[in-house]
Amino acid sequence: MKGINISKFSKPIILAVFMLVLTVLRPSSFLTVGNLSNVLWSVSVYGIMVCGTIFVFLIGGIDLSIGSLCGLCAVTVVKIIRYFEYSNTGVLLGVLAALSVGILAGLVHGAIITRFHVPAFLITFATQIIFLGLSMILTNNKILSCLQPELFTAIGMKKIFSFPVPIYIMLLIALISWFILRKTVLGRYVYAVGGNSPASRLSGISDTGITVLAYVFSGFTTAIGGVVLASMTQQCMATTGSGYETEVITAAVIGGVSLLGGEGTVSGALFGAILIGLLNNGLNLLSVPSTEHGLVKGIVIIVAVGFDALQHQEKFKSWLNQFKMKKVQGAA
Amino acid sequence: MKKIMAVGMAMVLALGLTACSGGETVREETTTAAPSAAENSGNQEAEKAPAANSNKVKKNPYTEDIKIAYIAHDLSTPNNQAWLEGIERECASWDNIVVQSFNGESSAETQVKIMSDVINQKYDAIILQCSDGTALAPSVDEAEKAGIPVITLNLDAYTVHSALVMAVDYDAGRMVADEMAKEINEKGDVVIIQGVAGLTRTDNLEKGFRDTIAKYPDIKILDAQSASFEKETAITVMNSFLQNYDKIDGVFCINDAMAEGAALAVQSAGRKGEMVIWGADGESDALAMIESGDMTGTIYTNSWDEGSTAAKIALLMIGSEYDSAVLTETPQVIMEPIVVTIDTVGTIPPEDRW
Repeated sequence: MKGINISKFSKPIILAVFMLVLTVLRPSSFLTVGNLSNVLWSVSVYGIMVCGTIFVFLIGGIDLSIGSLCGLCAVTVVKIIRYFEYSNTGVLLGVLAALSVGILAGLVHGAIITRFHVPAFLITFATQIIFLGLSMILTNNKILSCLQPELFTAIGMKKIFSFPVPIYIMLLIALISWFILRKTVLGRYVYAVGGNSPASRLSGISDTGITVLAYVFSGFTTAIGGVVLASMTQQCMATTGSGYETEVITAAVIGGVSLLGGEGTVSGALFGAILIGLLNNGLNLLSVPSTEHGLVKGIVIIVAVGFDALQHQEKFKSWLNQFKMKKVQGAA
Repeated sequence: MKKIMAVGMAMVLALGLTACSGGETVREETTTAAPSAAENSGNQEAEKAPAANSNKVKKNPYTEDIKIAYIAHDLSTPNNQAWLEGIERECASWDNIVVQSFNGESSAETQVKIMSDVINQKYDAIILQCSDGTALAPSVDEAEKAGIPVITLNLDAYTVHSALVMAVDYDAGRMVADEMAKEINEKGDVVIIQGVAGLTRTDNLEKGFRDTIAKYPDIKILDAQSASFEKETAITVMNSFLQNYDKIDGVFCINDAMAEGAALAVQSAGRKGEMVIWGADGESDALAMIESGDMTGTIYTNSWDEGSTAAKIALLMIGSEYDSAVLTETPQVIMEPIVVTIDTVGTIPPEDRW
C-alpha cells in the first residue's frame, strides 16, 4: 500500500529532495522568492510550449518544428511591431498575427498528417527547416531589435507581485491544458486516440479531428512561447528558439509523458520543465564550472527519472515483493 | 577613402610577404645550413617562375569571370551575415564577380564537404571561417595546391594559407579588463559570462581578461558560467549571479548578445547602476544599449569592413602570380578594435553599425 502512495507523489518528492539539497548547500540564496521566481521565469517559455505540445505526444505524434516555429512567431510579432512603428496597435496586431501563424502551422501539420498519412516525424522535420528558412528570409539573418513599446516588453519582463508575467502565462496555459485533458470529453478522446487509435475509431471518435486539434494547440502554445521569448529578449533573429524542441521533448519525457501516446499529464510535463530549470539554477548557484554541467545534469536526470519510473512499475513492485517473500521463506 | 586605404593595406601586406620570405631565407643562409633553407630558395625560384610548378592561374579580377566562395561558420548569425554583406559590397561594382555564400551550419564536417565541392567547381578564391581549424586544414591545403587562394576570416585554419583577416581577441579581453578596472577604481568583485568553450576567439578573449585582471590585486573574479552566446540564457545566468552575490561590481560577457541579456537581468532585478557591464563584438543593439546607459561598453570591430577586407585580398591574390607555397606562416590582417563607452559611442556612425 505504501508503494502506491509513494508512486503518486514521486514527482513532488523528487522536487522536494532536490530543493532541500540546494537549500542546505546555498541557504542564503536558494530558497528565496527572488530565486524561485527566477527559476520559473527561466523555464516559462518551455513550460508554455510543453503544455500544448503534450497534446501531440498524447495522441502518439511528435512535433519537431516547435523550435523554429517559436522563432518564426517571434519574428512575426517583432516585424509587425516595427512596421507599426512600435505602437501599441502594432503589439496587438503582432501578437494576433503570431498566434495565427502558430495555429496555421498546426492546421497544416494536422491536415497533411491525417490526409496523407505521412509520419509526423518527417513532416514536422521538413516544416522545421521551412520555418527556419522563412525566418532567415524575413530577418535577412539580422537581429531585429524591439526595445519598445512598454506593452510589448511587459509580456516578458514586467513583474506582478515580484513574479514576471511569463510565469502567470505559463500557469494559465497549464490550467487550460489541464482542464481540457482532465475535465472535458475532448481530453478523454485525446487519451483514447493515443492509447488505441483503431479502437477509438471503431467507437466513433474522429481521430482525424483530434489529431488536427492536437497540432493546432501545439502550434498555438508555441506561438505564445515565441511572443514571450521575443519580449523577454526584446529582439528576434532567425535562430531564436532553435533547439527548443529538444528541451520541450526532454521536459515532457522526464515528466513521464510517453512518446508512444496515451500516457502523461500536464503536471508531469511541467514538473519535467521545472526540474531542468532547478538543475540549471542549482549548478549556477553552486558555481559548478560550465564544462561539468553536462555530466552532472545527465546523471541527475537519470537518477530522477529512474526513481520515478521504478515507483510506477508494477513489475518492479511485484519483483520486490517476491524478493521479500523469498527472503522470509528462506529465513523460515 | 576606406577602399583606397584597404587596397593600400593589401598591397603593403603583399609586399611584406615577399619581403619577409626573402628576409628569412637570407637569415637562415647566414646562420645555419638548415634543410629548410634549400627548400626556401627553391620556393623563391618557384616564385619567379610560377608556371613551372604551381597551379596558380593569374586572372584579371576586374574583367574576367570570377567566382568567390564564402563558407561561413553559421550563416544565421548577425556577424556572419555582416561579413557576407561586406564581401558582397566590395564586389558589387564589378559585374564579372559572383559571390556565392555557403552555410557551414557550425559543423566542420559540412564545411569539409562544401570545400571539396567548391574546389571541384574551380572557384577562384575561398573566404572561409573554420569551424575547426584542424579538421579543415587538409581541405585548405588541397585548395591552395589547386591554385585557389584561401582567406580565413576570424576563425583560422591550422595550416599555412594565403591570409587570415581577424578581429583582436586576446587584446580585446585585455582592453575590457583595463577599462573595467579604471571604472571600478581597481577594486571590487567581477563575474564572467562565458560562451562555448573550445573556440579560439572566445578562449583568448577570456584569457586576455583574466590575465589582465590578475594584475589588479584588489579585483576578484567571483564566478564564471557559460550562457552559450545566447541572450535568453544570459538572463538566467545573470539572475543566479545576482541571487548568489550581494555585491557585484563588474560583469564581462564574451559577446554582446550575452551582455545585453545580463543588462536586462540587472535592470529587472532593480540593480541597474550597481555594476559595469561589458561585452565584445560591437553589434548595433549593444551600441544602442550603451547609448541608453544599460550597458557600459564593448569592443567594436567593423564586421562589414572585415568582410570587405577579405574580399580585397581575394581579388589581389586572384590577380597575382603569387603562390602561398612560398609562405612559412599565414600572413594576417588585424582589424582595428575600438573601445566603445557612452563617451565614444557617438563616434561610430550609423552606417558602420552592423
